Amino acid sequence: MHIMEGFLPSPWWQIWFVLSAPFVIMGFYALRRMVRENREALPLLAVAGAFVFVLSSLKLPSVTGSCSHPTGTGLGSVLFGPFIASVLALIVLVYQALFLAHGGISTLGANLFSMGIAGPVVAYAIFVAGKKAGINEIVTIFFAAAFANIVTYVVTSLQLALAFPAEVGGIMASFMAFGAIFAITQIPLAIIEGLVIALVFKYIVQLKPEILIKIGVLTQERAERLREGWA
Amino acid sequence: MQSIDHHFLDDYACRNALRGIDTRIKLILGLGAILIAISADTPYAPLFIALILSMVIVFLAQIPARLYLALLLIPASFALMSVIVILFLTGGGVPILTIPLPWFTLTATDAAALHSLIILSRAIGGTCGLLFIALTTPMIELFSILRSLRLPDEFIDLAMLLYRSIFVIIGEAVAIYNAQVMRNGYSSFRKGIVAISMLASSLFIRAWDRGEELMTAMDLRCYDGKFEILEPSSAPTISQILPVLLFFSISGLLAFLPLPFPPL
Repeated sequence: MHIMEGFLPSPWWQIWFVLSAPFVIMGFYALRRMVRENREALPLLAVAGAFVFVLSSLKLPSVTGSCSHPTGTGLGSVLFGPFIASVLALIVLVYQALFLAHGGISTLGANLFSMGIAGPVVAYAIFVAGKKAGINEIVTIFFAAAFANIVTYVVTSLQLALAFPAEVGGIMASFMAFGAIFAITQIPLAIIEGLVIALVFKYIVQLKPEILIKIGVLTQERAERLREGWA
Repeated sequence: MQSIDHHFLDDYACRNALRGIDTRIKLILGLGAILIAISADTPYAPLFIALILSMVIVFLAQIPARLYLALLLIPASFALMSVIVILFLTGGGVPILTIPLPWFTLTATDAAALHSLIILSRAIGGTCGLLFIALTTPMIELFSILRSLRLPDEFIDLAMLLYRSIFVIIGEAVAIYNAQVMRNGYSSFRKGIVAISMLASSLFIRAWDRGEELMTAMDLRCYDGKFEILEPSSAPTISQILPVLLFFSISGLLAFLPLPFPPL
């Protein structure tokens, strides 16, 4: 859910830039470290980012039929961690604004915070927690991707509510109103995105688990266990 | 092709009639317009910006008017949903519209209507500024600007590689999608979910292989962690700077003069 160009008034668009900046700077350092350690990382990150971009320009089969597209950042975060995911999201958001007129430049900070920071952090936390608890990876991926989407939409509603509080009931009432109106499209979308990303993960494990083992998302034995389970 | 949006604005930007103008001046014009539009307290400046930039885009940059109108409608669903919320939430003044619902009553006042009008016009003005940059400045020209902003080299290289990869894998996505449609892949909701997951996963694996091949290719050409970019050679001329300054002063005056709104 992109906030459109020009929609957030001062000082809110500046505030979200300032709040997003530390994560992006951390992301720059994480990126530099990753490239130093492994020279192959850069082109692989690039194709993963391009994949997120292409995924977000696919229209999902959805109940409402309106502008429903996946955020895709959940997968990026699970694969590379939340800081790298926020750098990828920054590039993807700029390209979405300039190539597809989704989102904008002044609202880049706010959109980055909801889609590139809050969503990925939650997805990563869910994935790590699920891994520790020994839950099946496919199930964890479903929840990670679905919640990344839901958190994104909750944060977007909050951003709009802070900028436009209600006359009666203030920020809370406004938050509920924005939340309710976006829920119509976003809740089914989150579930669909969770399903799709979980299936994508399953197919990758079936067809080319080496990728996931190489970047440390799965261990060799976990991948084999998962594949035996489906055989 | 209904379902994959692969006609990027970048394609039009590469062919627009203002391509030869200095990148910096176009960027300053677009960003300045956005900044003035979102700082204005009345709808005059944003609407002036929208009008002038739309004329520049259609007549000077020679972007097809039909395409431009379609682009303006992309954020319309977001704008509509959000403005409705603002219309019924903010108050003050005299009620002009009440909609009784079973559990509560929605009331819109005249002050709320004016407030919504200002927000909407800011969004329209801002969107025109964004579309001006998107339609007149190809991404390739922006990379050298990014370099001069002293952003990390890895970041710019990542952005450039990502840009290239998009065009490589979108072609594959379209091919797979067409093949799936021919085989009734999206004929029901359930099949659609399975089909799009298969599309995405095979796309991911192919993209990954491409990435590994690309690294080999870059190594063979002595990639050392930084792509060189040609710096822009042309400087903005006075005949380009003057109209931009004139535009900024008029829209700035419209935005910051205490003009009455509503104009009664």
